[in-house]
Amino acid sequence: MNAFENAAPADGLTRRRGLLVPALILLLVFAALPALLAGFDKGYFYQIANLALIFVLLSASMHLVTGVAGLLHLGHAAFYGVGAYTAALLTSKLGLGFTVTLPLSGLVAALVAFLVALPTMRLVSIYFAVATLAIGQMLYLVMLNWVDFTKGPNGVIVSKGFELFGFSLSGRLGAYYTVAAVVTLSVIAIGRLSHSYYGNALRSIREDDQCADAMGVSTVRLKMEAFTLSAFFAGIAGSLWAHMTGYISPGDFKFSESILILAMVVVGGLGSLPGAVIGALLLILLPEGLRALGDFRNIMVGLVMFLSILLLPKGLLGEVSALRLVRRQLGAAWRNTGPANGKGEGIGWR
Amino acid sequence: MFDPYYLQQLAIGLSLGMTYALMAIGFTLIFGVLNVVNFAHGEIYTLGAFAGLVLISATAPPIVAVILGALAIGALAGFSLERIAFKPFRRFTDEASLKSRAMRESTLLSSLAVSIVVREALEIVFGSQMRSVPFEYLINTPVRVGPVILVTGDFIIFGVAAAMLIGLQYLLTRTRVGLAIRAVSNNPLGAKYVGIDTDRTIITTFVVGSMMGAAAGILMGLYYGAVFPAMGFTPGIKAFVAMVMGGLSSIPGAVICALILGISESMATTFVSSGWSDMVAYGFLILTLIFFPNGLFGARRERV
Repeated sequence: MNAFENAAPADGLTRRRGLLVPALILLLVFAALPALLAGFDKGYFYQIANLALIFVLLSASMHLVTGVAGLLHLGHAAFYGVGAYTAALLTSKLGLGFTVTLPLSGLVAALVAFLVALPTMRLVSIYFAVATLAIGQMLYLVMLNWVDFTKGPNGVIVSKGFELFGFSLSGRLGAYYTVAAVVTLSVIAIGRLSHSYYGNALRSIREDDQCADAMGVSTVRLKMEAFTLSAFFAGIAGSLWAHMTGYISPGDFKFSESILILAMVVVGGLGSLPGAVIGALLLILLPEGLRALGDFRNIMVGLVMFLSILLLPKGLLGEVSALRLVRRQLGAAWRNTGPANGKGEGIGWR
Repeated sequence: MFDPYYLQQLAIGLSLGMTYALMAIGFTLIFGVLNVVNFAHGEIYTLGAFAGLVLISATAPPIVAVILGALAIGALAGFSLERIAFKPFRRFTDEASLKSRAMRESTLLSSLAVSIVVREALEIVFGSQMRSVPFEYLINTPVRVGPVILVTGDFIIFGVAAAMLIGLQYLLTRTRVGLAIRAVSNNPLGAKYVGIDTDRTIITTFVVGSMMGAAAGILMGLYYGAVFPAMGFTPGIKAFVAMVMGGLSSIPGAVICALILGISESMATTFVSSGWSDMVAYGFLILTLIFFPNGLFGARRERV
């Protein structure tokens, strides 16, 4: 009866339990929720569900740059806007469908992010934050003032709903499934990205960029990649938003939206992807649930953010507990190897 | 020789720059000199303006009383802001946490959160629409100076900004309080070791800076004749740009850069529509951060 024999069933057990949570979440997102929505059959509930999912993606993409790489980003909504405008303008000017606009809006947002990141990535902490604020406001001003191209404050009407290679998915349930599928795939991609060697390199920049630099991590390049990737996913979210609502205007992408997304990441716990998802759900669904409060919903965003910084500096689901969760989910990289580790002392990052 | 149009545009730019400078002085004192990341200064400015407006509509006092009331509210707001959003994050006074990035960023987020709460609360109480200031309090009687037309407010703002600048420079360089402020900003722990009450110094700085912010708010309210909850955002950004351009710790630098900014903006409206003129400030900010990381007039500090 040595440790090796003990380890095997325990490992199998954790792995079986590890698959349970994602399976439950997938079941909830793709079966239970649609059934519930179809049961109520109110357009409003579909809108809320889609909105919550889109903000889950925005929050997850910001998690990559602010939570994992530790770059305080105050202009995220602008890249969301770039994605939305790309989708809307491609649809209204060239008549392209969702299948084409979805990847293109991600790419255009990423391209814009890359271009603005070129000069600003050398900045640190607060200066980086303010530079992103300035960039976000500049992009917002472009959306607002370049009337010939973006129609300015009048906004753009997006005539086409969701479709996949010509198959229309524009019904309520179809739209929900499209949004849910895109968001789920993106969040999984972000999760794999942030819990990999690559994510660890980003974390090392967050913890101590000079040290990371000295260890041979190319900090500027990694920061740019994280910034660009997060803008890519924000652009995807923008495209979903444009096709979902059918109408976008610059007001959807102003500074307060950036702050809302930041608040989601902060409330959930900086550096934790499940936290970012929960934060997004909380800050979208709670104000909807408390509709009676009416005007107080914005004040609540500020209050929730302030209280969570003050009382829960690690957020609802801090990175440490989030890591434990992810270790269970994505067992492979952290699995105990060999009899020496049979006591369940993980080898940590391999 | 000069087209009077450009001269007028220059005058408009100077008065615009003066309004930015007014805001930038208090902002630079807290953010640049004390080196505390504070994003709620714009809301202090708004609070000052609303305090003045409420006083005017309640009792219609003389203008001096209005400004004194705004100053009192500003002092109170600065005090509470420091207690609510900054003090709780100075729980640990060891060297590592005083210098840690996490602490600076948590005060950034907490001041941002407080500013959201204040702005939204003002919106609930007063509505998000612009509220106009009664006509007899406005300070925009036109005055003709040579070929250009200014308003009385320009002179008042110039006087107030100059007084603030000189007063602050005197306070910072000639008094013990100023010495304590500079010591705390340079090295909080060292200041503590030599017997400076750091808490009280920080509070003092917040109160003085916020009083200046509130005075700026009410003067701007009287100058433009409109007060609204989101009025602090744009001047806050402009003041920040002026501060960064001026090199963070230099108040005269911030004032000069605020003037440069104002003139550039008013000149820019000659060529492009006024919607684009905000672009100038953001462009300046990015350019300064990239090409003059120490600011145009500042001392050296780690930034890139």
